[in-house]
Formats: sequence, structure tokens, C-alpha cells
Amino acid sequence: MEFPLDLSGSAYRDVPFEEKERLLDEVKSDLRFQDVMYGCYECGICVAACPSARFYDFSPRVIAQAVAREDADLVYTLMNDSIWDCSQCFSCDRCPRANSPGGLITIMREVAVNNALQTARKALEGYERIIYKIMSTGTQVSPDMLQPDAFPDWGTHVHEIADNLEIWRRALPPETLHTTETGWSIDDKTIIELYLIWHMTGVMDMIKGVDEGLFMILVDVMEERLEEAGYDVEFE
Amino acid sequence: MRMPSSDILVIGGGPAGIQAARGIADLGYKAIVVEKRDRLGGMPDEAGYAALTPDMRDTGEAIAEMVAPILDNPGVELRFGTTATACTGVAGDFNVTLQKADGAAEDICVGSVIICTGFKHFDPGRETQQYGYYQYDDVITLVDCERMLKAKNFVRPSNGEVPERVCFIQCVGSRDRQIGNEYCSKVCCGVASKEAIEIRQQVPGCRVFVFYIDMRMYGYWENEIYWPAQEKYKVNYVKGIATEVVRKGDKLIVKGEDTTLRRPMEVPMDMVILSVGMEPSEGTEAMAKVFGVKQNKYRFIETIGGALDTVSTTVSGIFAAGACTGPADLEDSTSSGGAAAMKAIACVRKANTQIPA
Repeated sequence: MEFPLDLSGSAYRDVPFEEKERLLDEVKSDLRFQDVMYGCYECGICVAACPSARFYDFSPRVIAQAVAREDADLVYTLMNDSIWDCSQCFSCDRCPRANSPGGLITIMREVAVNNALQTARKALEGYERIIYKIMSTGTQVSPDMLQPDAFPDWGTHVHEIADNLEIWRRALPPETLHTTETGWSIDDKTIIELYLIWHMTGVMDMIKGVDEGLFMILVDVMEERLEEAGYDVEFE
Repeated sequence: MRMPSSDILVIGGGPAGIQAARGIADLGYKAIVVEKRDRLGGMPDEAGYAALTPDMRDTGEAIAEMVAPILDNPGVELRFGTTATACTGVAGDFNVTLQKADGAAEDICVGSVIICTGFKHFDPGRETQQYGYYQYDDVITLVDCERMLKAKNFVRPSNGEVPERVCFIQCVGSRDRQIGNEYCSKVCCGVASKEAIEIRQQVPGCRVFVFYIDMRMYGYWENEIYWPAQEKYKVNYVKGIATEVVRKGDKLIVKGEDTTLRRPMEVPMDMVILSVGMEPSEGTEAMAKVFGVKQNKYRFIETIGGALDTVSTTVSGIFAAGACTGPADLEDSTSSGGAAAMKAIACVRKANTQIPA
């Protein structure tokens, strides 16, 4: 079976070579880089172990190889496409050279997001509500939210799971017994600190780059709470 | 009646021959070393290697250290500018004719012979791709590269400029049925990687690529050369061999396939370094005939003991060591030189004890 790598795709904006080099440099200068990328002799263990490679035109080896070769053109192509097919399971960490293609992809994704690459925006579209929930409440979902009427877009199989949710929960007992009610009710101090962190660490700038609509909604929510708490914060 | 000699003739003063002579002298026997050049050191010295593979020691320094014990050694007689031209007799009692460059001949009597006449570098004019060694100044060989690195003057031969992109093409003249050299030359992966590191050290701004079929970095060469080349010196290894080098403007374009990324490649380079392999030296071919030992299909001297005896030839009492028996690195050459010394001494001792009083 062959997995040809389509490099001709032009679903994203081309940029000058210097810009591609800048993005590659940003990946390479990440503090974690030296621990995820040593050298690759192309043994293919990462691909053999990779669940995504079974289903997508995706190869962790190609990602590692492209970065090892400092091929800025190819790295840009992959950052606009292939890196989003990774499930971040880190099965590839069994690399005999101790590379971590998954860890490399983490960095590449962060660079893509921080630079508001078109594909980062596209890849994050489906997560808009999750990001909104995490950023506005500090939590995402609790186990009892798994109901078809709460998240219809999760697909038809959610019915099956939701119908027997109690049994599933007994089979897979989670440490936390959070419920919708408790999960989204955060105390004032925590939520204010959370919003200040989003603001001061640049997370809001990043969100603005990848999803301006979400940014505006979050600003509305946050500004009001922060103002009530006596903070005068300007979101640009 | 003439008494058989316990002296041992060593032909060739390279790493294998030096090691053999040293072993013979250390064990109380006499080695007669004939060397056609006027100095010891063999190919590393003759070709002007910069640093040895894999330990990257300065070649001149390392060879001088190796040669020292056999200079002014009463157990070693050195004959420079000399070759062997004829041999009669049997194990324990050979009569060998030595000839100097001026034609003067002399017969000597020895109990055993060790041939250490080594290899020659493959002539890239015979390769079956189109790399243009004799066409483009900026296409050089591993050997040319050694000389430039030794001189600390790694520049483009065509214009004297410092190169920004260079590549090695592996397996030139090796592993090739069309050429007839089906064997792997064993050292070129290590030597190319060692040179790649030296280029990165001497010209840090120059990107270095290695186009290969598979990297053969056995034993410690993996962690001592290959991994550091990739990880510390950022040498780019691309699996796929070029088929052609063409000139475009003042650049060379290397055409090949990047097999693991599944795409054809045409990449510009300032210099191309051909990783030429090993072939039997002229001396090896000549000595095989003089001593009547069988050559294998690649014209190296055939050893008859397989993996368990790497130095015995088809003629009893005649041994061979180093790269005259096939591609060999320095470790192989010195090891087999020592093994041949032991076998040769065993041969003359046995012959002497069989002579009736």
C-alpha cells in the first residue's frame, strides 16, 4: 500500500521563502526542540506505530525528516496540512533515536497557531465551542454532558453511548465526578485569575489571530467580569 | 645444503604491513619489508588523508606513531623503492627476487611471505552514471576532499570560492553489477561522514548533504560518526542516489530521487564529492601473479579460511593482510596484519623443526 504525499496542494496561501524559514526557525528555537528531534535514519518505526498513518495520508517519519533536513518549503507545506492529522497519542515516541515526531508536531502546531496560519484557523474551527468553554469557565465538559441533545454534532453514535451512560460510567470510573452543574460553576477568584492569565500571557492575542469571532465573544464575557472585579483591562 | 630461512618477507609498508612487521620483530623474528615508494604509511600517507576514520586523529601524527616502532629496529629491515618480481620454493624455503627501481635485482631467502599491497581508489571515470568527474572542476572525490581538508582550504576548485552547498554521492564504483564491483567498499560511508563533519567544522556556513543507498556504519561508527554528523553537525542524509550531475550557470545540478519523501529531486550544489570505493591496487594484482596466489572475481587476493582465517591464501606459506584481500578499514588492516604475522611465524617454526639435523 502506498501513501503518496501530495505536495501540489494549494489550499493555503503561499508565502515568500524567507517567511517559511522564519517559521522553521521558530520551531527549531523552541526550548523543547532539542529533546524531540535528534536525527532520523528513516527506519519507519514511528509510522508503524502511528494510528493516524493507518487512516490518513500522514507520516510522522516525513515530518521528522523534513525538519531534520531543514527543508523550509516542505515544513511549511506540512504545517499547513499533515500536522493536523496527528492524534497526539505519542506512540511514535518508541523511536530508537529517541526522537518524538508527536512532540515535534506539538511545537509545529503551536507555531502554526501563534502565527495564525490559515490552516490553524481551519483546524481549530471545529473546536470553537470547546475553546470558548475552557476559556470562559476554565473547564470543558463533564461526563454527564455526553448527551445527544447537548452535543448533536458529536454524531449518531453518541445516542448509543448516552443511552447507557450510567453503565459506561461504572465501567470506566473517572476520578472526578464532575457534573454539568458543578463543572461550569467556578468561583469568582478563580475565574478572574484565569481571565487575567489569558490576557497577560498572550493567549487572547493568539485567539484573535485564529478566530476573531470567538475573540469578540470572549472579550465581551471577560471585560464585564473583570470590570466588576475592579480590573481595567483593554483587549486589543 | 642451504639452511631454510626463518626471515619473513612483508610486501607493502602500509598499515597492514607495518603491523605485521612490528609483530614479527616483537616476537623475535626478522621482517624484511619491501615498499615500492620511498616511505612507509601506505595509502593514508600517499593519498594525504586529513584525519583517520573513525577516531578523527590527524593522519600524519597517527601514522608516524605507528611507523616509529619499526624504524631503527634490528628486527626489521626496510627496503624502499623495491618490489618483488619472482618467487620459487615452498613454505619455509622461498627464494624471492627483489628488484629496485633502477633494475638492480637481488635474490633473498625467506621462510614465509605476507602480501600487504592494499587497494586503489576507484577511478570515477569508469562509473556508469553521469557524474562528470572529468568534466566539471567542482566534482571531486573523497580523496581530493581529504587533501583539501588537510590543507584547510575547502573551496570550489572552479573559482576558489567558499561553497555554500555540497553533497556526497555514495557507492561510486561499489555495489554495482554494471561496473562489476558488486561488493560494498565498507569504509566510504564512514569516510564521507567524517569528511562531512570536517567540512562543517571548517566551513560552518556550508550545508552538507549525503545521498546514499543505505548507510553502513557498523559497530561504533554509528555513534562515533553517523549520529554526531546528523545530530551535532546537521549533515543532511537523503536516501536516494543521484543519476546525473549537470552544470547550470556556475552551479551543479544533482538529479536523483528523494526516495523516502517520494519525490524526484534536482538540487543545486556548489560541489559534488564522489564517494569512490576500493579496487585491488596494481601492486596487489602484480603480487598475486608473482606469488601464484589465486585472486577472487574482483581480482583481490583470495583468502581460503572464510571468516575463521582471514589471511591464508591458496599457496601454503604465503599470507595476505589488509585491503589486498578486499575492502578493509584500518581496524581490519592492522588486525589482519597482526594475524598474518602470527601465521607466518608459525609457518617458519614448523618448517625449521621439520628439517633433519
